[in-house]
This record gives sequence, structure tokens and C-alpha cells, in this order.
Amino acid sequence: MQAGYWIRSKPIYGGLQWQHKAQAHVIIASGEGGRAVLRLLQQQLPPQAIKVLYLPEAQADHSHALRHMLQDVLGLDLASALSRHDTAAALWLALDEVLTASRMGTRIYAAGDEAFLWQVAAQAALHGVLNADIMREQAASLARAVYCVHCKTISHHVNTNIATCSGCQRQLLVRDHFSRRLGAYMGLMIDAEEPGNVPDILEIYP
Amino acid sequence: MNKLDHIQAETAAFHHAPFNEETFRGDYSFHNSAKGIKRFPYPFEQDHYMYSVNIEPHQPGKPGAITEHAFDIDEHYVAECEDKRMTLEQDAGRYAALPHMMDAQWDFLELTMESLARDYPQYFSLLKDGERWTWHNSVLGISDSFIFGDASTLPMEPFEYMGRQTQGDFVLLDQREGTLFADAGFITSQADWSLAFDIGMSWHEWHGPVPQVDKMGIMDRALKFLMSLQQGKPVRRLNWTMTVNPRLDTSPEHYPEWGPDRLTVTAENAGQKAHLRVELQAMFRLPRSNAILFSIRCYLLSLEDMATQPKWIKRFHRVIRDLHPDLLEYKGIKVYHEPLLQWLAPHDDGAVLSEGAQLD
Amino acid sequence: MSALANKLMITEPDIQTPANTSDQRSQNAGLKVIVQTIREVAEGIREFTLVSADGSALPAFSGGSHIVVSMPSGTRIYRNAYSLLSPPQQRDHYRIAVRLQENSRGGSRFMHQEVKVGMALEVAWPLNLFALSRLARKQVLVAGGIGITPFMSQVQELLRQAQASQSAVLQTAGSKITPPDFELHYAYRSQDHAAYVPELQALLGDRLKCYDQSQGVTLDIRQLLAEQPLGTHVYTCGPEGMVQALLQSADELGWPPAHVHHEEFLAPPVGSPFTIKLASSQQEVQVGADQSMLEALEQAGVDAPYLCRGGACGRCELEVLSTDGTLEHHDHYLSAEEKRAGRKIMPCVSRARCDVIELNF
Repeated sequence: MQAGYWIRSKPIYGGLQWQHKAQAHVIIASGEGGRAVLRLLQQQLPPQAIKVLYLPEAQADHSHALRHMLQDVLGLDLASALSRHDTAAALWLALDEVLTASRMGTRIYAAGDEAFLWQVAAQAALHGVLNADIMREQAASLARAVYCVHCKTISHHVNTNIATCSGCQRQLLVRDHFSRRLGAYMGLMIDAEEPGNVPDILEIYP
Repeated sequence: MNKLDHIQAETAAFHHAPFNEETFRGDYSFHNSAKGIKRFPYPFEQDHYMYSVNIEPHQPGKPGAITEHAFDIDEHYVAECEDKRMTLEQDAGRYAALPHMMDAQWDFLELTMESLARDYPQYFSLLKDGERWTWHNSVLGISDSFIFGDASTLPMEPFEYMGRQTQGDFVLLDQREGTLFADAGFITSQADWSLAFDIGMSWHEWHGPVPQVDKMGIMDRALKFLMSLQQGKPVRRLNWTMTVNPRLDTSPEHYPEWGPDRLTVTAENAGQKAHLRVELQAMFRLPRSNAILFSIRCYLLSLEDMATQPKWIKRFHRVIRDLHPDLLEYKGIKVYHEPLLQWLAPHDDGAVLSEGAQLD
Repeated sequence: MSALANKLMITEPDIQTPANTSDQRSQNAGLKVIVQTIREVAEGIREFTLVSADGSALPAFSGGSHIVVSMPSGTRIYRNAYSLLSPPQQRDHYRIAVRLQENSRGGSRFMHQEVKVGMALEVAWPLNLFALSRLARKQVLVAGGIGITPFMSQVQELLRQAQASQSAVLQTAGSKITPPDFELHYAYRSQDHAAYVPELQALLGDRLKCYDQSQGVTLDIRQLLAEQPLGTHVYTCGPEGMVQALLQSADELGWPPAHVHHEEFLAPPVGSPFTIKLASSQQEVQVGADQSMLEALEQAGVDAPYLCRGGACGRCELEVLSTDGTLEHHDHYLSAEEKRAGRKIMPCVSRARCDVIELNF
């Protein structure tokens, strides 16, 4: 961590809020992101069409609550309002179809862990959606994806300030410098100058 | 066929020319001639260093100065091009261009070819027959005819083609959404930043890791300025850091190779090992793409060579002695700050020095 | 040396470069041009073709660029910005079109009445404050009346991109990119007021949609924006009412701001005379009723910064130290907050209703 200054490449996430000026709403969420979507659905509903694309995770599956909320509480047509997917590949395929049919004015929301948020951005970019066009909420985990600048491997779900690269096994300092294109923080070998001199490894991204 | 593969063989014949036989790695035989030392862009105007944007028009400097021409070709040209080739061979990711940057690539090719052919007619020539252009680089033994605008007629993408034949690093910035995006780069001599990681970043994301500047609004003002940069009015600034051993490729990618060198600096060898690294950064508005070319030309000077100019070495001692700890850390000097000062201190008698970076 | 090069050098030495190109570093020098032709392209709109005075190639530019033309008239120099109409890659001439403004402060009147074929003018290097996004999936261009001018070069650029991808050039270079689809919507009062319709029809075919108000054909901006696919960018230039209607529709429909582009060039509005006091030199400069602050400073020999002269680029920004009246901001550059704060002013289009304004310059 760079204590003395703020690195402006590090994204700061807020909570999801409806963008009331819109033609339609597309919400993409995974795992614990489902809870963020439920929170959003508790806000006053906009009049335009709403579509939720959801990828449950083993430890975090909010599909039932989403179904109840959308269908039973809000009275929406479930077939058009919710599409639940078992694999990431299926989710991206469905998102591609939805965005292909979408018009300008379709508001896009994403909720999930940080890596997921930027996968959504990469998929949407194929349709000319800019990073700034998407509203994001980082749900639950602060885990980081870490790009090893030496071997170019991305290690996922890193909870510590220093992590072992899953590609080259080097000990990487997880910097605050973030690439939206890669959806990952920069990892730099920490003991290059003095091999073996690795500071305490601390869990700071639970 | 990749015509640049022949660089090494063909350049052998030119070693009698005004180009040094030297390396930026391995035995580090890089050296400056007496003339090379005198034209070094010494950046310190005062005894104390403060980060500033210090942008000025990139106007032609005096004959022989590094700013005489838009792109400076010096005694290190052959060795630097060879070093670029080796770095790219190890890691192709040092060159990258996002697909929407093709117009900017051609702008870059045109600007460098026209500049080099105009400013160094003894080494380079460009002939145009409508869109059919013929480029000769007699130093590297390269000769190609191609259709301007048709990348399939060149052995590689236009930006890479001329990036390999022009000293320095290059970034092409796309202007949109009220900011600039680093959407293409040719980066083989970077001071510790990674193209593969940073490509596609906006101005503020890219400069994120620079300490001490954000709170001053410097980056905001520099961005505003660059966004209204005009064609025909390029600008430049100097930036500096230090490098242990005369190494161009101080990339984060190869940090495990060069990082440990910092620990080898002693009070005895700092004069040969520690180098002041100055970047001449020039920014050009490009015509067809409306992109900005950010060129970063690196100059290296060992402390021993710097000591041949008493004003420079005395001032450098004071700058390094009083540098803010954040900047010592950022510039990677912290680990050898002590031996560095031990080597520098005896060269500084404390005399009052004249303002400005010029030699007295 | 290749056989081709040999041939060129022997038989056609005059096509050698770079003697024939504009040096990127010719600092501060404007481009000297000669008026080659003048023609009427619509009622009150005159087109000027400019060629370089010394026969060298003019700088290439990007679609949507403009030039600032200097017009020396008596003791005053008018400098007005005009969009470039010629194809961006065409370097042997520039074309601009000037509509005679009612209540002209002088610039358009000068162009219409005093500029003749063969006359020498100085123009600034091209500048683009209305560039096309390179990430768009579709480009929708919306022009009203004389607002067609910046689109003349943009459509050329878009056509070139479309053709380049057809020739599969980009694919061989390893970076396949699909050029954006595009269409131009052109609304005008009547045929007599519409410049370049036949030229655009020939160039664009179905991509051009015309709306002749005198025939009752109107452009439904809201409907147009409502049906655009994701990834579209919209660009508009025209009367203020049309531009505002488009911006409002886009906002209400939920278009993200980065997808909406507009160009509004302002002529500096007239007002009451007042005095500028410069803090550094204590010099006092009188601003006439029909003069901009920038023009007054220039006339007084003050070397003030400027670029677009249309309140768009931000280069001429000056700090206001004090005034005994109120600022009249007309620019598109300062934020609403900055305008309220009253510490900054863009002297190219803004002025003050006061006796004295002191500037930190």
C-alpha cells in the first residue's frame, strides 16, 4: 500500500441507485451481488423495463429471493425480468444478446466482486458502452485480482497485501494501481532486491 | 519477411560512423563522449527540486543541442535500436496498440519519417509518389516501399515500424470523454512503468502512482493544457529519475533483473554505477487522428561524467540530499541514498551556484 | 536503394520530400493562404477555397476541425473560426463556408464584402473541438442550417474508414475493427438556405436524410434518439434551439453524456463599453460595445492567450481579481459553479456589465 498518497487509478465504488432517466434497465450480478440487486429493488421502481441477469455462486445464491422479489412482490413478468445462469459463459452469452437488442438509454448496472464488475465492463465495451456508462457496486468481498507484471498471469481472490503468483510463484506486492482493462491490480515482486526478504503477509482484503 | 531482423548484421558496417559501439545491458559498455556530456539535458535549475510541469514550446534549440530537432538522433542511435530489438524479442508486449488507433499510427509514421528525413538527410530519406512512399534508413540498412494508409504493405504495423527506428519511447493518446487515453505505446526504455498494464488508461489513472502531484492539481492543469494542444505547436518538458547501471529497460517486467542492482551501489562505485536519467518528453498534436504523441527520449549520465562539470555535480548533491522521502521512494533511490551521498558530498564545496541549468 | 526510388529520384526530383511539407515545429506561424475561388452555396452563404501561398502542402486534419481566419480591417483584426469543409486528407486546399450574419460585428461582413479572389489571408493551424469518437458503434450526425459545415469533413472521414475496412487492410495488420455505421440528418429552412445538398447526396446516398421545413418535413429529434442502438454517439451543430432540444431529449432518454457531442460556435455578443485593468502592468484597456474583451486586449497590443475564440477550448481563461459590476459569461467551458464564483472569465466571448474589471494578467 502506498500510504503517502492516493492512487487515482483505484476505483471507488458506491451503491446501486436507479437512473430514472432511461429507456430500460439491465442489471448484471454474480454471487453476493444478488444482495445488492435486492437492495436496489427496494428503492422506488422506475417505470421502464427491468432485466436482471444473475450468476449465483456456491456460497452466495440469492436466486430465490430475487425471484420472489421480482415476481411475487413487484409483480413483474419473471420470464422477461430475470435470467439466471449456471455458468459465466452462459451469462456472457445472454448479456451479449440483451445488449445487441438494446437501445441507447438502456441503463446498465453491475454488482459482484471487483473482477466481475470489470468483466461486465469488458463485455459491454464490445457494444460501445463506455466505462463511465455503467453503475457499479462492489458486493461483499474486497478480494483483488492481481496481475503479475513479470509473467502476466492474473491470480484471483487475493485477500492479502502480498500474494504468491499463481503463474510464476513469485511473491508479489499488491499495489493500489488498478487496470480497468485487465480488471486487476498490479503485482510486483517484493523481494527482488533482497531475495527472501518478505514482510509479514497480512489479510487486508477480506 | 521481417526486414528488421537484419539490423544487427547490416549495422556492423557502420561502426566507423559517429555511433558508439556499446550496450545497455550485460557488460554495460554504454558511454558518453565529451560532446555527449556537454549536450546532456541537465534538469536542475536550482539547488532544491520541486515537481513541476515546466512545459515549454518544443522549438528548435541551438545547433547541436538535443532540442535542435523534433526527434534527436545521437551517438547512441545504433545501440539503442539494437536494445529495442532485443527487448521486443523477449517481450512482445512492449509494443501495443488498441485497434482504434490505426489513424494515429500513420500520423506517427508520417511525423517521424518527415522529421528524420528533413533533419538528418545524411542518414534517412523519404520519397513520395502520391500514396506510394519509399523510406531509406541508411544507418540500420532498411529500405521499404509501401502505400501510405495500407498497413499490409509494411512488414509490421506503422507505429512499431518507426518506433524501432527512432530513439525513445512513444505513447499515442486518444482524446475523448474529456480526457486522454494511453491507447497505444512503444515502450522499451521506461522508467518503471508497464505498458501491458497501463494501456487503455485515462490520464489520471496512468499518472495515479506519481506522489506529491495530485494535491497540487498539477495533473489537472497539465491535462487541460494538453487537451487544447495545437497541431504545429508541440511542447516539451524534462523529467528525471536515477538508474543503477546504464540500462534502458528498467521496466517493472524485468524488475527482478535490475532491482537487485540498487543494492550494489557503494560509496566507492557510485560514480560509475549511478546514472542520472533524464527524459525529454515532447508532445505533438497529430493531424488525422487528433491524437497526441507523447515521446519520451531517455538520456543517461554517470555521476563520474557529471563530475566533469562542477556546477552540475555540486547541485546534484544538494538536490539528492534534500529530496522529499516520498520522491526518494518513488524514484527508487531510497535503498542507496546513503552511499550515493557519500560519493557526492566530497564533490560539493558548498559554493553558491548560478541560477539555471546552463554550464558556467 | 530500390529500383523504384532510383527511378523517382532521376525522373521526378520535384516530388521528393520533405521540402514540400509543413514542419510541425513552425511555432506560432499561421498558415499563409490565397483565396482561389469564391462561390455562393446557398442564400447568404459563401464558400471560399484557400490554397497555400507558397504552394506547400497544407496540414492534414481530422473530421470536425476548424481554422481561425485573421481578417485585418482598418485598425482592427477580426479573427473568426470556420469549420473546414474539404476532405481531411486533401492537402492542396482548404474550403470554408461563411454565412453573412445579421448584426455582424464585422467578421462575416468582411468575408462577404472585402475578400476577393487572389487575396492573401492568414489562418491558424487546424484545431478540432468536435472530433468523432473512435469507440462508437454507430455515429448519428444532426445538422441544422449552416451547422452542416463541421459534418462536411466528418462524413469524409467516416467514408474513408468504411472504405479502408472494405479493402481488408486493417485485418492484415492484425487489428480487425469494424467501422461504425453512420447517418447524417440535415434540417434546413428551405432549399434556398440549404448548402451542399446535391454534393452530400452524391457522397452519402441513403445515409443522408434531409428535412426541408418549408415543405413541412421536420426532424423529430426525440424519436430519432429513442431508436438508436446501444453504443451510438450523436453529434449536433446548428441553431441554439435545435442543439438545446437535442441535448434535452438525450438527457431525458438516459443517454450518457459522453455519447452526446455538440458544437456551438459563438460570436462574441455585444454589450456596454467598460474598462479592463491589468494587474501586472496596471495598463487600462477600453472595451467597445461591439468588441470582445480579447479583441480589445489585442488591439491594445496585449499578448493574451487564445485558441478557438468561440468559448469552447478554455485556453484564454483569465483570473478576475475584482469588478464593480457583474460578469456576463457566454462560454461553454467554465462549469456553472465556476461561473457563479466569478473568479474566472473567458475573454473571447464573455464580458462584464461594469465600469472596471481587474484581471490578473
